[in-house]
Amino acid sequence: MLESNPDTETTTAAPNSSVAQSVVASLHDISKTYYMGALSVEVLHGISLDFYAGDYIAIMGPSGCVKTTLMNILGCLDQPTTGKYFLGQDDTSQMADDELSTIRGARLGFIFQSYNLIQQLNVLENIEMPLFYQGYSAADSHEIAMGLAQKVGLDDRVDHKPFELSGGQQQRVAIARALAVDPLIILADEPTGNLDSKSGAEILDIFDELNAQGKTLLMVTHSDELVERSKREIRLRDGRVESDERLHS
Amino acid sequence: MSDFTLNSDSPVGHPGKAPPTHPHLAFNFVRLKKITAVGVKSIYSHGLRSLLTVLGIVIGVAAVIAMLAVSEGASFEAQQQFRDLGANNILLKSVKPAEVEASSSRGFGPPQAIIYGLTIADITTIRESIPGISNVIASRIVKKNVWNLGKSMNTDVVGTAVDYPSSRNYNLRAGRFFSEAEVRDHANVVVLSHEVANTLFPIDNPIGQSIKIDSDYYNILGIMESEGFSNLGQNQAGASNSAPSRIYIPFTSSKSRFGETTTRQTAGGMESETVELHEAIIQIDNQDAVIEVGEIIGQILQRRHKNIDYTIEVPLALLRQAEESALRDQIVAGAIAGISLLVGGIGIMNIMLASVTERTREIGIRRALGAKKKDIITQFLIEAVILSGVGGLIGVVLGILIPFVISAFWGMTTIVTPAAPLLAFSISALIGVVFGIYPAMRAADMDPVEALRHE
Repeated sequence: MLESNPDTETTTAAPNSSVAQSVVASLHDISKTYYMGALSVEVLHGISLDFYAGDYIAIMGPSGCVKTTLMNILGCLDQPTTGKYFLGQDDTSQMADDELSTIRGARLGFIFQSYNLIQQLNVLENIEMPLFYQGYSAADSHEIAMGLAQKVGLDDRVDHKPFELSGGQQQRVAIARALAVDPLIILADEPTGNLDSKSGAEILDIFDELNAQGKTLLMVTHSDELVERSKREIRLRDGRVESDERLHS
Repeated sequence: MSDFTLNSDSPVGHPGKAPPTHPHLAFNFVRLKKITAVGVKSIYSHGLRSLLTVLGIVIGVAAVIAMLAVSEGASFEAQQQFRDLGANNILLKSVKPAEVEASSSRGFGPPQAIIYGLTIADITTIRESIPGISNVIASRIVKKNVWNLGKSMNTDVVGTAVDYPSSRNYNLRAGRFFSEAEVRDHANVVVLSHEVANTLFPIDNPIGQSIKIDSDYYNILGIMESEGFSNLGQNQAGASNSAPSRIYIPFTSSKSRFGETTTRQTAGGMESETVELHEAIIQIDNQDAVIEVGEIIGQILQRRHKNIDYTIEVPLALLRQAEESALRDQIVAGAIAGISLLVGGIGIMNIMLASVTERTREIGIRRALGAKKKDIITQFLIEAVILSGVGGLIGVVLGILIPFVISAFWGMTTIVTPAAPLLAFSISALIGVVFGIYPAMRAADMDPVEALRHE
């Protein structure tokens, strides 16, 4: 990072010409401060980043807190203290709770380390859930969910409950669920953290395939294997962007 | 990868399957059905716990219905009794004064000749001083042995007027009542009660035959139907006759055959009683005035009689009392049932709070996947309503069965009105909403980040 101008800083890792140039999400000078009584801790210090359609991003960092906080803000689960976060064309930093819920459901797909499937519901119902909150009809939801179950190779397990599946299978259900609404970005928080290396590799293969189809993936991880597969690596340190590089380009 | 193949030409997104342009319009029956299905699943997965939770509601609803049925039945019975006595009637009866009764039952002292009770002069005075009295049916009641050949029974011989049956909704089963002409002629004719007819004529038809009282024969004209409730009413009023066996002869015949004085053997000797009238039914034109007229008659009789040797019975007033006490019963029953429903509601709130805590993570997941606070509230509220609704349904079934059991084993009249189950069920559903709203709001107010992190 030779230039100190923040405007150009975010463009240092702009994709090469083979990737579409449109920005799907961008962070503008995001900071986050937690207040605990009289004590205040600033976790993020003015982070600015642009994310492009079809990109495959890995965010790395030593401390869990900074990564988690950034992930929560990117996931519209938490609001920045200052700064703007654009998801699509909309600034989410001033949105009310209901609008945030809607935008989460419509534009984001979540993949968690611990899968976070609902145990009472079967595979198909878990995949259908984001569609339900978006108001899709039952017939459409069913068709989409069946298609996605097939896509992740679980079309013969749609009636199973999550606890009847292996970790890798559960994470595949979670991927199908994240794809259900065709989101702008898929956010994955340590997606292979709970998996053995074989299942983890399978999940990453799926990610590669999805990215090859044009899906935008953003992962938070400390695993080098994940970073190797990504196209852009962002390193955080002390609540700031330490480095932002394009890989394999 | 053997089990994972991405179809490279599969389109991104879902062409032709866009979400509705007005998502709020999509909050419809289908959506509700889906949320309900999720709720049922969650309740079903904790079967025993859910069952125990709704027990309070079950008991409350069953209690409401059963108690209403029992009190409704009791008040129906009471009202039936008094209605049979006639809502337009005032009943006067002669009773032996208390002090005379006391001295004669001691069984010593000289033979007594007692004169008491209502007189024809009383009735005349009442008729003359109160307007609006349409009719007075005066009766004399004498206890006699009645014979049909070898069979006999002791019964009340009621000397009365032709209007007697119509005055108290008392109908003939067969034959006819005696006529005005027969009253004028002091005719030896008789109408039997159902019970007497059955005892004296177990096989053959009594109509056209005759019975013997003392040394006279009386032609049987008709048979009354079973007295049922009206007789119970008389017992309650403390009338001299307690047997359902009564026979009816013209007033004039009774007076000329049996006289006004009866003698009977007591422990201490002979005792004679002179009673002019045993019973009088006063009919009033206007039902609204019945209770007031009853009070005026009371004042007139109080002036004319030294001792209280009469009773005044206003069926309408008794009916009102019965209705009031039925209402009181229902209020008490309602309060008990209300408390039990309240306890049931608190049980539901308790279990819903536990459920919210238990499912914190689920709430977080749903919020992350696009559920609004409103959606979470709806989900938990529906679950609470399902719980209380199922409890209410079980309660309704029990509440309808219990009165049947009560009727079968204790012979009480119970009436389940359609309103009772409906009311009880609506209350139980309402309880689900009232006691479910706080846990549901707590669920919705959770911070999604915190909820997702919850173990």
